[in-house]
Amino acid sequence: MSPETRVVLRNIEEPGLHTLDVYERLGGYKSLRKALLEMSQETVLTEIEESGLRGRGGAGFSMGKKASFIPRGTMDKFLCCNADESEPGAFKDRLLMQKNPHLLIEGCIIGSIAAGANKGFIFIRGEYSHQADILEAAVIEAYAKGYLGAEILGSEHSLELVVHRGEGAYICGEESALLDGLEGKRGNPRLKPPFPANQGLYQGPTLINNVETLCNVPLIIEKGAKWFAGLGMDKSTGTKIVSVSGNVQKPGNYEIELGTPVREIVYGLAGGPPAGREIKGFFPGGSSAPVLTPDSLDLPYTFEAMAEAGSMLGSGSIIVIDDSVPIVGVALRLAEFYRHESCGKCVPCREGTNWTVKTLERIDSGEATPMDLEILSQVQLNIIGNCLCVLGDSMAMPIGSMIKHFREEFEEHIEAARAAADRDHVTGLGAGELASAQGAGAA
Amino acid sequence: MPRPEVRNITFEVDGREIVAPEGEMLVHAAKNGDVEIPYFCYEYKLGQPVGACRMCLVEIEGIPKLQTSCSTPVKDGMVVNTTSDRVKAAQNAMVEFLLVNHPLDCPVCDKGGECPLQDISFGWGAGRSRFIEPKRHFKKPLELSPLIAIDRERCILCYRCVRFSQEISEDYQLVFLERGDHTFVGTHDGRPYVAPFSGNILELCPVGALTSTAYRFRARPWDVEDSGGLCTLCPSQCNVNFTVRDDKVVRVNCRDNHDVDDGWLCDKGRFAYQAIHARERITAPLVRDGGVLREVSWERALDDAASALKKAGSGAAALVGGGATNEEGFLVQHLMRKGLGSPHVDSRGGGGIDAEHARALARTDLAASVPDIEWAGAVLVIETELVDEAPILDLRVRKGARRHGTKVITLTSRPSTLDTAAAAALRFAPGSAEAALGALAAALGSPRKGGLDAAELASRAGLTPGFRAGHPSAGSPDRSTATAPGTGEDPVPTEGRRDSAADAAGGGEVVAALEAAAAALRDAPDVVVVWGERVAHGARGKQAIDALLAVAGALGVQGTEGAGLIEIPATANGRGLREVGCLPNLAPGLKDTPEAGRGAAEIGRALGDGGLSSLLLVGADPLRDFPERAVWEAALEAAGSVIAFSDFRTESLDEHATVIFPAESYAEKEGTLTHPDGRVQRVRQAIAHPGDTRGGWWVLSELSERVGAGLGALSSAMVSEQVAEAVPFLGGLTLGDIAGKGVRWQERGASSSLPVAELPDSELEEPPEPGEGLRLGAVPSLWSGPETENAPALRFLAPRQRAELSAGDARRLGVSPGDQITVSVDGQSVRATAAVRAAVPPGSVFLISGTAEDNATALTNGVPRTVEISLA
Repeated sequence: MSPETRVVLRNIEEPGLHTLDVYERLGGYKSLRKALLEMSQETVLTEIEESGLRGRGGAGFSMGKKASFIPRGTMDKFLCCNADESEPGAFKDRLLMQKNPHLLIEGCIIGSIAAGANKGFIFIRGEYSHQADILEAAVIEAYAKGYLGAEILGSEHSLELVVHRGEGAYICGEESALLDGLEGKRGNPRLKPPFPANQGLYQGPTLINNVETLCNVPLIIEKGAKWFAGLGMDKSTGTKIVSVSGNVQKPGNYEIELGTPVREIVYGLAGGPPAGREIKGFFPGGSSAPVLTPDSLDLPYTFEAMAEAGSMLGSGSIIVIDDSVPIVGVALRLAEFYRHESCGKCVPCREGTNWTVKTLERIDSGEATPMDLEILSQVQLNIIGNCLCVLGDSMAMPIGSMIKHFREEFEEHIEAARAAADRDHVTGLGAGELASAQGAGAA
Repeated sequence: MPRPEVRNITFEVDGREIVAPEGEMLVHAAKNGDVEIPYFCYEYKLGQPVGACRMCLVEIEGIPKLQTSCSTPVKDGMVVNTTSDRVKAAQNAMVEFLLVNHPLDCPVCDKGGECPLQDISFGWGAGRSRFIEPKRHFKKPLELSPLIAIDRERCILCYRCVRFSQEISEDYQLVFLERGDHTFVGTHDGRPYVAPFSGNILELCPVGALTSTAYRFRARPWDVEDSGGLCTLCPSQCNVNFTVRDDKVVRVNCRDNHDVDDGWLCDKGRFAYQAIHARERITAPLVRDGGVLREVSWERALDDAASALKKAGSGAAALVGGGATNEEGFLVQHLMRKGLGSPHVDSRGGGGIDAEHARALARTDLAASVPDIEWAGAVLVIETELVDEAPILDLRVRKGARRHGTKVITLTSRPSTLDTAAAAALRFAPGSAEAALGALAAALGSPRKGGLDAAELASRAGLTPGFRAGHPSAGSPDRSTATAPGTGEDPVPTEGRRDSAADAAGGGEVVAALEAAAAALRDAPDVVVVWGERVAHGARGKQAIDALLAVAGALGVQGTEGAGLIEIPATANGRGLREVGCLPNLAPGLKDTPEAGRGAAEIGRALGDGGLSSLLLVGADPLRDFPERAVWEAALEAAGSVIAFSDFRTESLDEHATVIFPAESYAEKEGTLTHPDGRVQRVRQAIAHPGDTRGGWWVLSELSERVGAGLGALSSAMVSEQVAEAVPFLGGLTLGDIAGKGVRWQERGASSSLPVAELPDSELEEPPEPGEGLRLGAVPSLWSGPETENAPALRFLAPRQRAELSAGDARRLGVSPGDQITVSVDGQSVRATAAVRAAVPPGSVFLISGTAEDNATALTNGVPRTVEISLA
């Protein structure tokens, strides 16, 4: 079994880590002191940029670059932590916030230095109420200790940090919908541009980052950009917490160095599928990532390799499907999720997800023909790239990939379900009706 | 704020070179080159695009993904393709997606034939759908309001109506409920969408989801013709299109004129057309015969009227108002002055104006235009409630505040609906406009402020801050993003705390609020002052205008581009009627008259005491619209003859009219009106005169003829020519010049023939000390006119009298909201329902003027009045 590379999760099993005492005892808030008292906004920003740290929430955009887009000036600027972890398959942020809330808070403060922001929000999904309670308690501790509030540790930097609980919409994980939600509006994605870096929360420049991304920041300040950039492979620097779920023997969060082969994660760390089963396919980056076949198991787990294979690393959540699971069921469940979560603002996503679900239902119940598969895959193509935000693509790409990789299984399913439905139809009729139906047919 | 400089750039669409202003959205700019890009959610008037429908996707060179052209500003050298296979595929896909849940019930849909979804499906769709699943279903149609039916199955969720409610009319009622393909449009609280501008969503809707209950199933687009006209129900004079079927107006839509209405209409303008075809309308001349009004021939009516007027001679008087045209006004004053030798003609029911002041206020270098409102650095709204008195301008002020950062300052006696968009708001005691303006002039450092300082003047005005200092809405154009959480400033709505703030308001706080308003005005490079005619009403109207001119002087509006004054007159063509000579002291062209006549109030008294004997009413209803109702009751009772133009039998006329001429509606009239900003506009005949109705110009010409002062006009157009001759600053203006969009006379060369008037420079008089007790303010409601009562669709909006009180006064008087109370003064009283409104300053009470019953005019007499309130 290949070992994990525990960096972000290094103290995760320490009892009481969520308290300020334990966190500080283990060296917590030292990076903040360093960033505040020994470094300038410029050097903090440069350090983050040079580390090559890429967003851990899904898009994989360089955090340093994003922060550098924030205009300078005296206007109100904001830092938002995207803790609306709702992607099916992702549960890494939950672990971080529950066990190590102060790491996130420290990351937020350092992030706010880089962005020049004085107001911060952690937008946490409403269902994470236990984690939100823990975070709120930690924020109170941090205020009491002077890590938050005005003139932190006697420096010129101030940060007000608020934990905001979401109301249960997946779409609020999309950064601009998150901002609208924070503003008290209906959480719908905004048209871009303008991007949040220029006009985000309350029209002010806003830096938005994922929980895990911000949790990496104190480490970069502590150990240096060079150290961080030395980890990983190519432009995928550092480590990644991977949430492995689905048909594996040991599902859970594993922190690996980026570039570790997928097989080592799925089989080595997560124990592979239950005995006697084979992997049919896997989502390499959460439910929005196109499904890959076992051929891709030996690829290094990096942003680049996953993209090259036609999928994405996304939030780093691997969902494994083994040969006991019918792919039509996976597709239908997935499509249902995205239809339910589509905000309804733009046409292709709203109508496309609805159409897809209805067609898949027919396929599943035996009322479809192979021609429907053709239409279904064209519907996915009509969605991809035409939506206001990425939610539509998040359904269309995996569904499209499933039809592509498992077309035969779909066709077999259609035939089998249709035969079963016909049989049910016939046996469901009473004997007399059956006779008359046959008689009518004969006449 | 100066208008942004327009820089034209060249870009390419489908191989065509197109020139358009830089930064304009591609979907709009492409029209310059006759390239049509289909869209649903985009609407120029709604401002920022939302990019929801994805119909306008195009290919732009250098950008890999297709882009929504509604949100792509054009740049120099941009190369766009709207017909490539990729774009066509996307367009086909979007049409197919849109029709997934859209019922194909076009044959029975009101929108069929004028439906963007239908047109775009034909033009850009694949012509077939592969969708065979069941569509979504809603109960339908439902009443979104008594005026609007909503069919949610037809809705394509384009956001237009919701954006209108949220960002244009700012009534914040319409929202999206649910999400995904379950999303539907509704009001946030499930109540009917009743708002002053709700009807605009009918025109915005690109499908048949929102239909007018008044127009539903009345016609198909191929049954009707559009006829351009003008709405003359208020001074906004919005440009409209009458939808005409079988010589009947069946619908009113906007006829987009950026310089007037910006493409919006209020619900009164949109639905009051029903009154045109009301059964009760008078369509033949009536003469009192044996005590009853009987239909007679035109000959008989004209003879009777002419002989009555001739008999009265200089004892005749005329009142003009409503939507009377410049031509009609001109003919009335001609009939009176030249025909009868009577100087008694007036168009201002509330009070007269000094000749010098009238000319000063007409100066071209003090005039602001409607578009100036939205681009001004600051807009100062003085004693007018735009949403009630010139509704469409309310939207213009909001537009400026929301989109261009215009600071809005309200200085009114009654809390203004614009307060929520305002940077500063000040209240004064009803009737104390003079002192309030004096205080503002002093705060602005006017050299004319007189002997008192700002604090003393503020105290004489009973000035209070409209909302507490530092209120989140202060200075913020968008209330929803006004305050960041965590700044300690909780965004409590203004109303919640206003009363306590006002109670606690000491002199210091008042002066601070006054200073804040003055500072906001001083900071603005150009200020537009929108003021209500009410400022000039009453015994000290002259001094109030003097103070207004002092404020204008201190603001430096004179000659500043984009700055100026706009008066909101009490009647639709108030400005035009004055300029054509319907004032007792001014002849056509604002020239002096050889002999000054009596103003409206004196006419009323003189009729009562026998000083005058005959009254000609053209669009004026003194019992309903003029103060001192008791005086007018006596006047009509005593008058030897009352000759009126009217479309309906009214209280005034039923008992007292000698002759009634059927009045034309605004869809039947020919002529011109003058907008408050000086724009001369045309009303045009859209339908034939019903019954035996004849043109007002013709009737008045006939009367002049019969009293021996004929002008020989054979058509309304000839009268228009006579007006242009008689009014030097309209010199040479032809109907052709005015055309469809109107012409501001200030912008023509002839404007230099406006009689010169110097601006006053003497010190202001000291305003009187305010009295003790509850001060009465009477303000019109948008819905308090006869049009509301005569249009079935609008009838539910006709207001019943209500008295707005502050919470403190209500407590003190033992009055609870909803109580029936009596408001009385000097033996006259009005019954009303008590309405406690936290924003009303203590010491003020407000009634509606112009209601059919319990009209506030029973209590008003032009001076600040203190009233008693008791439970009825």
